[in-house]
Amino acid sequence: MSVQTIDELEASLREASYLPDRGLATALYLAQRLEKPLLLEGEAGVGKTEAAKALARSLDARLIRLQCYEGLDVAHAVYEWNYSRQLLHIRAAQEGTVAEEELFGREFLISRPLLEAIESEGPVVLLIDEIDRADDEFEAFLLEVLSDFQITIPEIGTIRAVRKPAVVLTSNRTRELHDALKRRCLFHWIGHPTLEREIEIVRLRVPGVPERLAAQAAAFVQGLRGLDLAKPPGVAETIDWAQALAALGRQELDAAVVEETLGSVLKYHEDFELVRDRALVELVEQARARV
Amino acid sequence: MADAVVRHVVTFGRVLREAGLEVGPGRLVDALAGLDRVDLTRRDDVYWTLRTTLVTRREELEPFDRAFSAWFLRAPVQPPVRGFAPPELGINLPQGATARTDAARLDKPDDREPTPVGWSAHELLRRKDFAAMTPEELAQARLLIKDIVAARPRRRSRRLRPHRNGRQLDLRRLARRSLARGGDPIERSFRRRLDVPRKLVVLCDISGSMEAYTRPLLLFLHAVVGSGRGVEAFAFGTRLTRLTPALATRDPEQALDAAASSVVDWASGTRIGTSLKAFNDLWGRRALTRGAVVVIVSDGWERESATLVAGEMARLQRAAYAVVWVNPLKGSPEYQPLAGGMRAALPFVDRFVSGHNLASLEELAVVLGGIERRHAA
Repeated sequence: MSVQTIDELEASLREASYLPDRGLATALYLAQRLEKPLLLEGEAGVGKTEAAKALARSLDARLIRLQCYEGLDVAHAVYEWNYSRQLLHIRAAQEGTVAEEELFGREFLISRPLLEAIESEGPVVLLIDEIDRADDEFEAFLLEVLSDFQITIPEIGTIRAVRKPAVVLTSNRTRELHDALKRRCLFHWIGHPTLEREIEIVRLRVPGVPERLAAQAAAFVQGLRGLDLAKPPGVAETIDWAQALAALGRQELDAAVVEETLGSVLKYHEDFELVRDRALVELVEQARARV
Repeated sequence: MADAVVRHVVTFGRVLREAGLEVGPGRLVDALAGLDRVDLTRRDDVYWTLRTTLVTRREELEPFDRAFSAWFLRAPVQPPVRGFAPPELGINLPQGATARTDAARLDKPDDREPTPVGWSAHELLRRKDFAAMTPEELAQARLLIKDIVAARPRRRSRRLRPHRNGRQLDLRRLARRSLARGGDPIERSFRRRLDVPRKLVVLCDISGSMEAYTRPLLLFLHAVVGSGRGVEAFAFGTRLTRLTPALATRDPEQALDAAASSVVDWASGTRIGTSLKAFNDLWGRRALTRGAVVVIVSDGWERESATLVAGEMARLQRAAYAVVWVNPLKGSPEYQPLAGGMRAALPFVDRFVSGHNLASLEELAVVLGGIERRHAA
């Protein structure tokens, strides 16, 4: 399925339980139409990875995910030769000599996510998650894939994409990405959502959550972001928390239940202590007053 | 597409370049292609299309927004906040000597690099406090600082590289080499993990009380930044400034000038706690500190709260591999860490060294090279 307008994409993402703001929808839309990879950056928990997953759902495409980590190399990201099969093949040939081309044919190749995405005949969303965690040498491997949608394997030649996958890269900015990589991508910074949108997101993602509770939880988290915390909570935390509160059968926030469940919102002990000792009661009151 | 739109976007690209964004022709082509596919009457779609295609990093969002409202919305624009021109990067020397400006140095044809001195003079120089050096001696010191090879702490990489004494079989090579042997893996190749330089983060206090040491320490920083990838340098006084790009040039004088121009609060008061907090919030949260050796260069004179210093040092230490504090005052035999900020910070410091002369910088290099365990004191 191809998207014709931004509104259309927005609507189908919404159907896939994801509420993008207009900026993200535009960025995702342009990435499809211009056939360019999209680099998403933003604080942890604002829904970068989720955006790619939702895009796959809404395009009815297969999601192929490459989780990056330090030490990630071609053998794990692009392709690897099936060595045991190769050795067996040489053995099986026994007397007759094995030509090198024979040994490095397509049937001995194991596809890893990038090659899989390039070779897929159906629609694919390729998610290259947390690219900043990979060594910067690894970015060089990506350049060919991201600009030409092709992969060159020395023994075989160049494999071109049958149909170009939609590519989403995410980064937490633990280091600056290489300019060559950035130049090939569209860029979008995902910020924290507005209160109204966050309430909407909670209600969409936590079915059955009481309306007042969703609104108060979102307002409380928005209040937390205004404090000077080591790690301000993202939407992911709001959703987790609303789920916890709903599971406890709450209809509304009060100071006691917030204190009991605050651990699913604040992941640092100092933040937890700071809020519990100084801001909790006030924030609860504010949140209750706002909705 | 209408010529008017093309002209508009191209001019806007120029406006953005003036605002400091890197807008190449490729990006403009993307922007135009994008505009071709959205509704030009919707202002927010136009905005998002231009932003998605022309901005590549978060720091560019604000100048972009300013330029956008100036160009497309014709809104009155506040000029970007510009700092004062930094005072000259000279050092207040005792005995009334004046530091020469760099421009003057370059202009004088006879002003060559000072000739190296003999060993004994060299040794004297090594022990001399930076604060007591004449400009000539400082120029000598500069040459020596370059020679103090920054022995960077190393870490084991997760990446496997071919290696004769490796432990893991390099199957790709093995299969290829077995071809000629009928599938018998006779010649085996191995791979192993190699040591690579560990991340190094240097936070340098450039407030008034540190003035005499700032220049040599910046020279040292420049040498360290030049020692390879994975080094980040920051300066702080009343606020925090990232110096890495400024120090990344070859020529130390030029690098110092660039660094000076990016630090507005040159030689004013110190807010160590606030600066550390800014570092932890902005860079620590992005995991720059994680697994890094963090070197803080400061005399520990905190103008504000020592409690804040302690709290932020604790945060820093938890993420860092090791924390080294360099205090030039420690070079004096009767020095005791009485300054409030220093006292608050010490419990979170793994190594406490001086940095007042060349010998102590050499010592620092050795300390950095020898950190082999996390938080090893």
